[in-house]
Formats: sequence, structure tokens, C-alpha cells
Amino acid sequence: MSPILLVAVPLLAAFLSILSKKLAPYLLLAVGVFNLVILFFIPLGFEIIGGFNQPLGINLLLDTYSKIALILINVLIIVIAFLNIGKYNKFSSILLLAMGGLNGLVLTNDLFNLFVFLEISGIAAYLITSSNKKPVKTFHYLILGAVGSSLFLFGVVILYSMFGTLNMVDMIQKIQITNNYKELILPFTLMFIGLGVEAKLLPFNSWVKGVLGKSNTLSGPMIGGVYAAAIGFVLGRYINNLFMFEGNLLIVVIALLALGILVGEAMAFSSTKVREILLFSSIAQASIVALLFVNGIVLWAVYYIVAAALSKTVLFLVINKATKEVGSDEISKLKGLFSNNLVVGVAFTLVTLSVMGLPLLVGFVVKLNFLTELAVNNQIWLIILILVASVVEGIYFVRMLVKLWYPEDNVISVKYNLSFKVVFVVIALILLTFGTYTAPLKNYDNTIDTIQEVVDNG
Amino acid sequence: MIQYAAIILFVFGIYGLLTNRNIIKMIISLNIMEVGLFIFIISIGFSYDGIAPIITSASGSGLIYVDPLPQALVLTAIVIGVGTTALALAIAKSIHNKYNTFNLDEMEEEL
Repeated sequence: MSPILLVAVPLLAAFLSILSKKLAPYLLLAVGVFNLVILFFIPLGFEIIGGFNQPLGINLLLDTYSKIALILINVLIIVIAFLNIGKYNKFSSILLLAMGGLNGLVLTNDLFNLFVFLEISGIAAYLITSSNKKPVKTFHYLILGAVGSSLFLFGVVILYSMFGTLNMVDMIQKIQITNNYKELILPFTLMFIGLGVEAKLLPFNSWVKGVLGKSNTLSGPMIGGVYAAAIGFVLGRYINNLFMFEGNLLIVVIALLALGILVGEAMAFSSTKVREILLFSSIAQASIVALLFVNGIVLWAVYYIVAAALSKTVLFLVINKATKEVGSDEISKLKGLFSNNLVVGVAFTLVTLSVMGLPLLVGFVVKLNFLTELAVNNQIWLIILILVASVVEGIYFVRMLVKLWYPEDNVISVKYNLSFKVVFVVIALILLTFGTYTAPLKNYDNTIDTIQEVVDNG
Repeated sequence: MIQYAAIILFVFGIYGLLTNRNIIKMIISLNIMEVGLFIFIISIGFSYDGIAPIITSASGSGLIYVDPLPQALVLTAIVIGVGTTALALAIAKSIHNKYNTFNLDEMEEEL
């Protein structure tokens, strides 16, 4: 079994699914399950493609880091596709394209190949957001995405002209030999901006409000959950191994990310629409993830990405379904949403409390551990910043929850299917289980990302 | 030298994207920016005395070849650029169907 199947099979199925629109959603589910099954039979390590050995050919790297990312991406796409069967059937081919693109994104070890997968998954993302029926917002996203990936390519090409290679491991080795960081500032900045557009980092994220603020049960969890997670993993890989920011550039990056956290939380705090609260909190979370990777905290950043992706999937599904039936996402219009939906309400509350980082839930365990590691690194200011952000987050989430639970005189009834309820309860239980039973989380350490090890050992 | 021309084209494209409010003109600006990038990539592998990178029995050892890799990269990037442009034009068409204009300012008045 080869990891290339994880990319090739969805792309082939995306092509075949155009032939039969009726079968397309089932083909999507089948390919998703196929990917998950073969993932457990593929041995960890490099996959050489076409018989060209490193560093000449393109190669894929499957290690624990990318395996966690792949399981998360494929499971979430299956769940989202299953919940949207019947409503968004014509998007099945696009979801297959997204699956192939995102799998390739986290697997590839080649810089130009990453640009190609960035564009494939980007094109799928623009098409997914077209389901919002807000073409101007989609157009805005497309323009920003295209400029971002062009800047990324610009950076990659400058690196190629300097080192004559596109293989990530080979490039890191050559950078270590030359050890001239000043010349690398320009390409690294360009690549960081390129990834930052997709990763929703300030100030490259002006598309997010238009896209997620008008999202539905397909585009909300896909862009806010799956894409955010996949790009988070890629950004982590690059920050951790290739960029290794130093000097003034490090200060600028940390300042930008810290600003991203503050602005994201402040905007969420001042917003009165539920979807906007969720999307601004996602922007803050993306900045926290990047900040953790900059500080070399890999394992807990990975768990943070996984927890955030699961939580945001539930939150966007609950709210977007309610918004569609009520016709507004203003908190005042959604008052009492959970008074008739007890199960959904409890699951939503548990997930929100996990995002806030309350004890007994996985969000608390993750926050506690990465704050401890930041303390070991003597990053007191960052700890204060994240704690302040958590307090603000706590205030606006609790305020939102209280209004969603108590109806006053506002009567709304939103019907959630059984399949929706099962997904919400399962995800809430997962967050609760790993929040109380933390031993499995500590089986790994920061070496789950093996690139540095490969670079050191050749 | 050709790299300066490429960067100027790239900057022209970004300037066009920032200043234009017409969707079609924005798509054209995006393409100008991409063309600048493509010329930059090609220029990376170019050398003045280089010949086409095809090894034949007649070719001796002292020849300088043009680097073929950037050319392969540009081919892929052009294809991706065409895909993005096609999608952008399709979205422009649906915007026109909805608002009857390509101008973003006029649309905002209607919104």
C-alpha cells in the first residue's frame, strides 16, 4: 500500500463522479472510508514516486504527524458529507477534489508540489463557498487565495534559485550548511504570507468574514473545521522545520500573531451574530496555533488543532442549521434555541466549554499543557496574553450560551435529524473522554514531526 | 535584467488588483501578476549561452544547458492559473446574473 493512493483515488473518483450524479455522494463516502482503512495498512516513512530517489523526485512523507492530520481530515469530510446527503449532492465531486487536495497537502515533502495541492484544495474551497450563494464574497476569497498562493510560489522559486532543490529535507540540510539567515528573510516572508491567507492569520484574513459569516451546513464546517485544520498542520510543519524564524523577523511574526489573537477575541466579543462570534474565535485560534509552533510546541499544538476542528465542526453545524430555519444568526433571534433541543443543547454547551478550556474537557488539558511548556520557555508575556484572551473568550461564550438556553418570550423550533444529534453527541463525548482520561495523549512527544530527525540523520 | 521586468509586471498586477473595482479588470490584473511570476520563474533557469536541455550523441561535454526544471514548473503553474481564471470568470458571470453589473461599487449600493 502506498500513500499516493490517498491522493490518487479521490482525484480519480472526483472525475468518475461527474458521470453519475446520483451515485456521486455514495462514491464520496466509499472513497472516504477506503482512505481511512488503507491508512492503517500503509507503513510510516517516505514514499518515492516514479523511481526517482531523493532529492530528485517528488516524495511523500507519512509520519505520525501527517497520519493524525489525515485521519482527522478524512473522518470530518465523511461526517460532513454524510450529514449533507440530499441537500448538497452536486458538491460531491468538489468534496472529493478537496479530499485529494488536502491529503496531498499534508503528505507532500516537495515545495512546488505543496503549491499545486494548495491550488487544488483552494479551487475546491472557492467552489464549496459558492454554496453560500454570495458570489461577491466568493470572488473576494478567490482573489485573495490566488494572490496568496502566487506569493507562496514566488518564495519557493527564490529558494530554488538559491539552493537548487525543491525537496524540503534537502533544502533544510542545505540551509543549515550555508547558515545565512538574512538572505532567507524575503522568501520565508513571502511563503508565510501565502500560507497565512489560507490559515486565516491577521492581516491576510479579510475574506473570512464574508465566507464564514454567510456559511451553511456544508461550507461552515468544511472551511471553519477541515480546511483550518489541514492548513494548520501544513503551517506547523513549515514553521517548525523550514522557517525557523530568527531575529527581527521573529519579533514581527510574534507581534502579528499576538495581535491576531487580541483582535480576533475583541471582534468576537463585540459581535452580536453567532456565526461571526465563531469565525472571529477561529481567527484567534489560528493565531494561537501558529504561535505555539513558533515556540516549538508541536504535540500540544497538534492536539489543539484536532480539538478546534472537532469543536468548530459541531458549532458551525448547530448554528448554520438553526440559522437556515430561523432566517437570522442574531443571538437575539436565536434565543431559546436549546429549550426544545435538549440533546443538541447539552452537546453544544460541552463543546463550547471545551473551546473555552474548562476542566474535565480536552480544551483544558491542551491549554494547561501548552501554557506549562510556554512557562518552561520563559514566555511569560505570551502566557498572560493567552490567559487574557481565554477570559474574554469565556465571557462572550457564556453570554451566548445563556441566551441560547433561555427563551424568554421568543419561541423558535429547529428540528435536528437523528444523524446530526449522533454526530454532536459523539464529538462531545470524545472531548469529554480525552479531557478526563489523558494518558493516551501523553504517549507521544514533540518528535511526532520526524522531518528534523531525518535531516539530522541523513 | 529580465527579472526586473518580471517583478515590475508582478507589481503592476497587484496595483491593478488594489485599484480596480471592475471584476473583469481585476481578473485581468490577476493574470498580469501571474505572467510576471511565470517570467520570473523562467528567468531563474535561463543562461545566455545555454542550449536546449536535450542530450544527443552529438552534444559534447563542455556545453551549458538551460535549467529545464523551472520550465516544467511554469507549465504546471500556467495550467493552474488557467483553472483559477476560468473559475473566476464563472463566478463573475454569476455575479453579473445577480446584480446586472461588473462594478463592485454599484453592487454595494444594491446590497
